[in-house]
Amino acid sequence: MGTETLDASPTLGVLYGRALLTARSGGQTLPDRQLELAGVRIDASLVADYDHVCGFAVGGDVPPTYPHMLAFPLQMRLMTDREFPLPAPGMVHLRNVITQVRPPLVGEPLRVAVHAERLAAHPKGAQVDLVTAVTDGDGAEIWGSRSTYFVRGATAPDGDQPSAPPEPDPHVGRLPHAVWTVPGDIGRRYAAVSGDVNPIHVNGLAAKAFGMPGTIAHGMWTKARALAALAGRYGPAFTVDVVFKAPVRAPSTAWFHTAAADGGWDAKLVSPKGRDHLLLTLREA
Amino acid sequence: MPSASPLPRRAAIVGANRIPFARSNGAYARASNQDMLTSALDGLVARFGLAGERLGEVVSGAVLKHSRDFNLTREAVLGSRLSAATPTYDLQQACGTSLQTTLQVANKIALGQIESGVASGVDTTSDAPIEVNDDLRRVLLAANRAKSTAGVLKALGGLRPGQIVPEIPANREPRTGMAMGEHAAQTAAAWGISRTAQDEITVASHRHLAEAYDRGFFDDLMTPYLGLTKDNNLRADSTLEGLAKLKPVFRPKGYPDSEATMTAANSTPLTDGAATVLLASDEWAAERNLPVLAHFVDAETAAVDYVHGDEGLLMAPTYAVPRLLERQGLTLQDFDFYEFHEAFASTILATFAAWEDPKFCKERLGLDGPLGTFDKSKLNVAGSSLATGHPFAATGARIVPTLAKLLAEKSAQEGSDTVRGLISICAAGGQGVVAILEA
Repeated sequence: MGTETLDASPTLGVLYGRALLTARSGGQTLPDRQLELAGVRIDASLVADYDHVCGFAVGGDVPPTYPHMLAFPLQMRLMTDREFPLPAPGMVHLRNVITQVRPPLVGEPLRVAVHAERLAAHPKGAQVDLVTAVTDGDGAEIWGSRSTYFVRGATAPDGDQPSAPPEPDPHVGRLPHAVWTVPGDIGRRYAAVSGDVNPIHVNGLAAKAFGMPGTIAHGMWTKARALAALAGRYGPAFTVDVVFKAPVRAPSTAWFHTAAADGGWDAKLVSPKGRDHLLLTLREA
Repeated sequence: MPSASPLPRRAAIVGANRIPFARSNGAYARASNQDMLTSALDGLVARFGLAGERLGEVVSGAVLKHSRDFNLTREAVLGSRLSAATPTYDLQQACGTSLQTTLQVANKIALGQIESGVASGVDTTSDAPIEVNDDLRRVLLAANRAKSTAGVLKALGGLRPGQIVPEIPANREPRTGMAMGEHAAQTAAAWGISRTAQDEITVASHRHLAEAYDRGFFDDLMTPYLGLTKDNNLRADSTLEGLAKLKPVFRPKGYPDSEATMTAANSTPLTDGAATVLLASDEWAAERNLPVLAHFVDAETAAVDYVHGDEGLLMAPTYAVPRLLERQGLTLQDFDFYEFHEAFASTILATFAAWEDPKFCKERLGLDGPLGTFDKSKLNVAGSSLATGHPFAATGARIVPTLAKLLAEKSAQEGSDTVRGLISICAAGGQGVVAILEA
């Protein structure tokens, strides 16, 4: 696999614009290259903005979901290339697995590399995994993630794909531990700190055009907020596996359930009527 | 567990003064925390001849507090008839505030660091602080940090119309997003606390408070304020039949609606008020020919994990009491009076149910068997928060003198035998303060 090294992080607004123009094109196979950005440094002020939106404590460890902010523009750059087999607009985040060896530090030089794999058919379309590795100045991988994205109605070539590990199966009690009031403008707020201006999160009409009931919260915001709610209950090294089920509408109310599990935590975000929004398992290394 | 090391001496509860408690946005709508605290202090000064006295300290606190009131107690003392040389500090532990201030003052007296002090608490839900919302606050703070005019203008460019919506403080746990009543409703449903049992506690609270007023019990514990001479939440004529007609106001999330049992009557209302207690060494009281109603024996504070730990928000006293009993070598049955803060009728009923449950007592409290039950005719015999109302930080300083006076009365009737009372107060944040008084 070849490596294309970028000089600077791509601008997401531009990529979304390009995505809308190139939505109908696309090749048959995944690009055989990875994109990387070297010498990336996490900015404390931007992390503080992210902390405010997601509920993390300012000045603590960089949130375990924060490196996704560095990786997502690279993912989008890869997925909006003309030859990428799936269209980026309307793409839905199905699952995100993060393995953290240690929290990245503000200001340390990091290398972020992203590639795509596991293009596969889905009962209602097609899905693909975007894999990210963050390495530190010594070349050690300190953080990795696998994001599975789904496109309704898209097709994927048949073929043997390595199957994904079983989905997380959290075991929680019947009583909610917290009631989340999801603000109507959470999509706009999270877009402001993440750059992820996907129209399904910021514009009601666009969201409906992509088959959503209205604007929906970013899946990675729900994951971030869930991890913020578990602050202080897990150590620096762990794997946190999340599947995103029914989208969380904005505004809405959702119930958050947690339970201590062997070696970590289980959690669920459900609607008051009992529909699963997010299933989470966190297991410490 | 080691038994308590004997304290050098026990602090005496000399007396008290509070203002009647008023339902929110009513009689005290125009009064601030400082106004109410100053008035309650001046009543205490007048009752015990303390004008110009330098006390060891005055400790108070409020749950709902304006940022300008950082020195609330100091400002109140400077405006009172106490000597301006009386030091003060503020303390806040939600609804446990003024039992905790009592504990602080009592401990300093016990250690000989001070000879006298006032423990108190005050709260207003009417004159509550209103904050600008977080977005506007951040824009204004950024503008304030900017070093140039251009920087200020750039920061102010972040202003949006939606930011003018103010934040009004809500009685809600930040980490769970649930109102305290919703937490209590979950606990009530988990323990199967019946609506009738809650309403019985409520009727008893109003009846006991009315009887206490009728026999003049509060005459030397209270001074009128802004036209009130009694707690205006008191409904002396409340009946089970009347209460049964009320609709539930708090729904237990995760349970069917049929499990909703908590009404506006069997839950405490938002209330304004202030309360003070005078504590001293026996010597200090004797020198001034002041009475000693009771002594402060010991106290315990507990906290529970209501966020992820599957314990009820208001269940911390359930844990604090057995720890305190073990340290003092006492059993739950060894008391003449039980003063349990009625945050919600269901809260104290869930506490009692937990103490009778062998599984809970073994697994959660680490006891060999159930803590057991006690004679409920000794519970809140002069009324409690359901009837008086509950200005959060003032409740401890209402309960301490109520129990001290009950003990003093009983001691006077019975002669030399020690009489003993237990206080229990649950607090937001999953905390609880409990204490023992003796006369």
